Amino acid sequence: MLKIAHIDVYYGDLQALWDVSLTIGEGEIVTLVGSNGAGKSTLMNTISGLLKIRAGSIEFRGIRLDSLPAHSIVEHGISMVPEGRRIFPQMTVLENLEMGASIHAARKVRQKTLKEIYEVFPILGERAKQRAGTLSGGEQQMLAIGRALMSQPKGLLIDEMSLGLSPLVVQELSRVIQGINKANNLTIFVVEQDVPLALSMAHRGYVIENGRIIDQGDAKSLLCSARIKEAYLGAA
Amino acid sequence: MNWKKLSILGVLVMVFLIPPLIWDIGTSVLNLLIMLFIYIILAQSWNLMGGYTGQINLGLAAFFGCGTLVTHFIWKAGVPFYLAMTAGGVAAMLLAVVIGLPTLRLKGMYFGIGTFALAEVCRIVVGGTFHRMLKMPSSYVASYSLVSRYYVAFVVAVLAIVVVYLVTHSKLGLGMVAVRDDETAAQVTGVNTFKCKVSALFISALLAGLAGGVFAYLRLSFHFIHMMFSPVWTFEPLMAAIIGGAGTLAGPIIGSVFLVILSEIFALKLGETHLIIFGFLFILVVMYFPSGLVGSIDQIRQKISGVGRKS
Amino acid sequence: MEIVFQTMANGLLVGALYGLVALGFALLMGVMKFLNTAHGTFIILGGYLSYWLLELWGIDPFVSLPLVVMAMFLIGIAFYKLALSPLLKLPNIGMRINTSMLITFGSIWVLDNTMTLLWTPDVRSIMTSYTGQTLKLLGVRFSLTGLGGVGVAVLVALALYFILSGTYFGKHIRAATQDAVAASLCGINVQRTYLFSCGIAIALAGVAGMVVVSSYSISSTAGIGWLSSAFVVMVLAGEGNINAIIPAGMLLGLIESAGLLVVGVSYRQAIALIVFIIVLMIKPQGLFAKKEYGS
Repeated sequence: MLKIAHIDVYYGDLQALWDVSLTIGEGEIVTLVGSNGAGKSTLMNTISGLLKIRAGSIEFRGIRLDSLPAHSIVEHGISMVPEGRRIFPQMTVLENLEMGASIHAARKVRQKTLKEIYEVFPILGERAKQRAGTLSGGEQQMLAIGRALMSQPKGLLIDEMSLGLSPLVVQELSRVIQGINKANNLTIFVVEQDVPLALSMAHRGYVIENGRIIDQGDAKSLLCSARIKEAYLGAA
Repeated sequence: MNWKKLSILGVLVMVFLIPPLIWDIGTSVLNLLIMLFIYIILAQSWNLMGGYTGQINLGLAAFFGCGTLVTHFIWKAGVPFYLAMTAGGVAAMLLAVVIGLPTLRLKGMYFGIGTFALAEVCRIVVGGTFHRMLKMPSSYVASYSLVSRYYVAFVVAVLAIVVVYLVTHSKLGLGMVAVRDDETAAQVTGVNTFKCKVSALFISALLAGLAGGVFAYLRLSFHFIHMMFSPVWTFEPLMAAIIGGAGTLAGPIIGSVFLVILSEIFALKLGETHLIIFGFLFILVVMYFPSGLVGSIDQIRQKISGVGRKS
Repeated sequence: MEIVFQTMANGLLVGALYGLVALGFALLMGVMKFLNTAHGTFIILGGYLSYWLLELWGIDPFVSLPLVVMAMFLIGIAFYKLALSPLLKLPNIGMRINTSMLITFGSIWVLDNTMTLLWTPDVRSIMTSYTGQTLKLLGVRFSLTGLGGVGVAVLVALALYFILSGTYFGKHIRAATQDAVAASLCGINVQRTYLFSCGIAIALAGVAGMVVVSSYSISSTAGIGWLSSAFVVMVLAGEGNINAIIPAGMLLGLIESAGLLVVGVSYRQAIALIVFIIVLMIKPQGLFAKKEYGS
């Protein structure tokens, strides 16, 4: 469904991603793990259109995305939950969710989608009229995910979901994500620093280091691989 | 000291110093050059605060007008001109204490509009208080020599350039640039940001006040003295400094030359037509050539010699 | 005593105009963080449009207002495309404010002097059948054009309020201001949103210009004076607090009138400026502070 082929991404003159390729099939949860600064967020920002590639291609359901502006990519069915959540602090929870349904296709079914989101995240329904800036970190993360889902995406990108959240909240979110994936066959691409969390949620995984993909495979087997154990799980 | 640069400077100084002594240059050329020197002083003054310290002062006209006003009256009272001009500069510095210091507290754009508002208040108050024409006694008119105005303006302009050079090449100057680039970081690394901002303000006010003094010497009498506090006296030097290259020594000079040349080309048109072109240039510089003419020349030179770039 | 009431009444009328003048400016600055120093210049331009529509084709300014609004809207879009849209690429808000200040500042020189070239610096004002006529209410005289101006100001302010809080478009503007990146990720075309908002802001300047030329006068260099008023009102209302603009304007009008009684006409312009400076120093978030749109 999502095909990234041999992309190079630069920040000005500084190269951040080298010859990165990966594929995500329909209905899969795929994760990309790596340490700080390895290029995970760079890749996410590139897919969602905030950064441009200098080589290679990005294809989603057969359509080239790499030259489109960010808002068009949302129209093509990819929605991102950005790093740091980035909800609109001065707007209410409801208004934030409404903003998520800005594209035409989503606006028409807005009310129905809202109901679904409230079922998945009941706390958002309770706090609908509250200013988003006053929510706790975990609630804001739920709001960010809910907002991204409001556009009725075919592919969901989640950038560093666990940052700054307590383990309990993270587990709950992970459960919800897996639930959405199963219920709607939603394709999900998760980028995470928390390697065990990521590999426990996903079907398949990729490993990135210094802007290059160095490993990939089935999530379970990655979890057991010696390299991962040594680099990220602190094995002896 | 760089001997090549020094000798170029020496030649320039000779070019400006000698000719009026030997030839009869003509009043229009002399007037033009005197205004050029005044703009150079004002542009250097603004640049010290704006280009080097990052404090966009939109009220420079108040210091200029103050210098003009004070110099006029003190000189009229019989004090020798050089002292009167110095008094003008000092008066501008005192004004800076009153209107400059409080505004330093304001952050970002509020500093700019605060200084603008205060300068406007000065203009309105002066306009309300001095509505009669300010005249000089006829003895002054009789002894008027444009050439001596030329040399005074030239000396003060050179002085301004030297002062800015010395300040910006001192530790204080480094502090100023640090404040411009990131005030918080500067504070954290131990730079006395307040001292840097205040120093820039006072030196800038002094220079602008001296420019006002030169202007008082040049024009003698004034129909509407409050016009010397008009925002134009802030904005033209500001644009000259930015177009020439903010934060450089040569920038204000080059920008002022441009400004004066443009105004001469369009001298006969209605309104300040040269400002239309200047305005366009200004916008272009802000958007695409932030280092101004000076910086762009540097960039072109770099591209040609291939310095700092791998192929 | 009657003089006092009369002065206060005039103050309210002028104040409504001050509010109207400030609306477009506050929209660009408070909501989108563009400091449009050329706002006063656009007001004058709008005034010229109203003036020429009357002089050349005999259309009453209140009637030609929709035409002026449309023309200024298009001018605003062009202005955005040419001068402001590159600024969205700048990394932080502070740079955006400073750079927009400088760019619009350069525009003042271009626009003011072009208007001077085209239409001379002569003062222009509008003479219609009802110019100079007054209405006596509660013992005080109100000029008809002044009352018309108040009506326009209130209507426009209400329309703007409705757009910003009731429509999707208005919410897009607010979202894009709080976090432009997040807004694009929601599928909002931020460039287009800003484009139309700028059009609206300049159209608002045009409306103010029409009121200025029919109640007072315009000249090609008078722009900066109106910019000054707009700034003062915005600071009084609190940056980003669009709803408080008309009230803040009226407050300024009242203060100015009260000050007039004390210091006399020649220092009138200084009153607003001094109020401005005091508010800047003491309560920079504005007198009506209630953080609405900015962050």
